[in-house]
Amino acid sequence: MTLLVAVFWLLNVTFDTGGHLAFKAAAAQPDAGDGLARWKAMAQRPWIWIGVSFFVAEFVVWQAFLSLIPLSQGVLLGSINIVAVMLAGRWLFAEKFTPMRVIGSTLIALGVAIVGLG
Amino acid sequence: MRRFYLIGFLVLMTFDTLTQVCFKLNANHAGPFVADFAWVVRVVSAPWMYVAIAGYIGSFFTWMTLLKHAPVGPAFAASHLEVVVVLVLSYFIFGDHLSLVQLFGSAVIVAGIVCLAFDPPDEGHDERPSG
Repeated sequence: MTLLVAVFWLLNVTFDTGGHLAFKAAAAQPDAGDGLARWKAMAQRPWIWIGVSFFVAEFVVWQAFLSLIPLSQGVLLGSINIVAVMLAGRWLFAEKFTPMRVIGSTLIALGVAIVGLG
Repeated sequence: MRRFYLIGFLVLMTFDTLTQVCFKLNANHAGPFVADFAWVVRVVSAPWMYVAIAGYIGSFFTWMTLLKHAPVGPAFAASHLEVVVVLVLSYFIFGDHLSLVQLFGSAVIVAGIVCLAFDPPDEGHDERPSG
């Protein structure tokens, strides 16, 4: 792996994780209400737009990443995002690590990596 | 809550898969990338492009609805069922070759999702105390 590939990989994990955390922060505001009011409240707060910005940045980084390595390798390396979002969810939103969650998410990350290998 | 997750993820998978299949149909319609205006016109002129965008929008609203209750870590992991669905559909619709390794990886993903499905939702439905 060249340094440039490593940099794009790191940026991809960062933007993807950041985007998902921002979306979770937008979606989980307890005072946002329900139905249309909830969507309006989300649109008026910064989190959803921060999330969108992260995903736009990720889109660009992913394109750059894939211009240097094959898609299968991209999928393989991208499986780390699952682990990153899992850890960040525990850290920032106090999400529980139940045994089933840890086993399930680890299997999924492994499975995605294996599909990338194939 | 189980019902909310089940329906939510089914809808999410449908939108995600629709988007990927339509992108591929559109790419087949447009042909291999060439840096000219005619290629761009072919990309934006087929209806598949717009179905793909509609699929993205549908996914977004479904995902934000799911995240109201779902913990983002396991939910993001579970959304990777899309990889399996798209692999299987690409075999039937586009005649893509599936390797044994890919099939094994898909089975591992499905096993992981089965584990998440057995995670007790009420106990697991935590997040912030008021959320």
